[in-house]
Amino acid sequence: MAKPTPSQTVGPFFARELLWSDGGKVLFPGRGDGITLTGRVLDGAGAPVVDALFETWQMDAAGKLPTASEAPRPYGYGRVSTGADGDYAIETVMPGPFTGPGGETYASQLSVTIFARGLLKAVRTRVFLVPLDAIKDDPLARAIGNPDRLRTLVATRDPGDPTHYRWDVRLQGAGEAVFIDV
Amino acid sequence: MATTLEPDVHPPYAYAGYRSTHLRAPAQPLVRVAPSPLEAAVPAFPKKFVAEAEADLTTWGKSAPLGEKMVLVGRVLDEAGRPVRRSLIEVWQANASGRYPHPVDDHDAPLDPNFLGKGQVLTDDEGRYRVVTIKPGAYPWKNHAFAWRPAHIHLSLFGNSYAQRLITQMFFPGDPLLTIDPIFNSVPDEGRQRLIADLDLEHGVEGVALGYRFDVVLRGSRATPMGA
Repeated sequence: MAKPTPSQTVGPFFARELLWSDGGKVLFPGRGDGITLTGRVLDGAGAPVVDALFETWQMDAAGKLPTASEAPRPYGYGRVSTGADGDYAIETVMPGPFTGPGGETYASQLSVTIFARGLLKAVRTRVFLVPLDAIKDDPLARAIGNPDRLRTLVATRDPGDPTHYRWDVRLQGAGEAVFIDV
Repeated sequence: MATTLEPDVHPPYAYAGYRSTHLRAPAQPLVRVAPSPLEAAVPAFPKKFVAEAEADLTTWGKSAPLGEKMVLVGRVLDEAGRPVRRSLIEVWQANASGRYPHPVDDHDAPLDPNFLGKGQVLTDDEGRYRVVTIKPGAYPWKNHAFAWRPAHIHLSLFGNSYAQRLITQMFFPGDPLLTIDPIFNSVPDEGRQRLIADLDLEHGVEGVALGYRFDVVLRGSRATPMGA
């Protein structure tokens, strides 16, 4: 077995190299319910993480894997950097729930990977776009158990605008998001 | 205890010598789960996403960039030694003076109008890639007194599954700055050598460019054997 190449930080100087114009607008061939996910990435002192690379990857509206893209970029994949307030914004369609190889049901979610200066390896997680009581059977919800920890991965739907979801990611300390090893 | 955990090949999140980790490293243990069907798949980059010219970082300006021209070759493999085919690699780096064309880089070294320091390439059917560039310069940073980053090229890879997504840095053999670099030294001992390229003269261009080889191995998922 060959040994894996170790991870290193993305560093502070990636923006021009890794960002695309409109990278926060996730492309799909079909239609779906348009939603936006916005929020902030915060450090252990609650300060904004202004230089994170924030990536999302998701199923389509029917819960199917995005296919090979006819568009200039891959379907289903979003990539932005955080701004001066640690803020990010992803414009996409509501992903459908999907089923795993063992028949397990995954709730509507995005897989999220965050790289940043000070992160020697990426943090990975999943954000849920349905309420806590609707994800009880999701494999990650089961693995976490503790509802207070699980709540760190549930986006909040804006009562004034039901197409808008909000999710803050605390990297460390009180309210630290659950990160996963897959 | 007879149980031995496989030592992690990656650096820890918290590494005392690298200041920026202090408030950014998660403190809670990771929750181990099987990759979801999403994480077992990977975003599909259309062929036209990458233009062949993007593998040569030296041809963007009106004339050649300053610095020592080099060819970087390598293969991207999984842990079983299988090639990772038609997979996107993005590279970026400082110019020969150790300066990035980035608004937050305040290092007082000259920009090179003929060098943007970014490129991308798809691996071929054998997992091979080839990038033409110049050797980046070292540069100071504010992590500690007299801190200088050793010359390095950043690589971003996707592999065959989103769980394999990797961003890393490639270093140069014999660089004395490696011993004082906390980012490099955050990697557990035995893994550091795998971040250093080999001089590979035959893949250079006679009289024009030095060749270096940097192979990348992407881990399989821990929960699902590769190819299962």
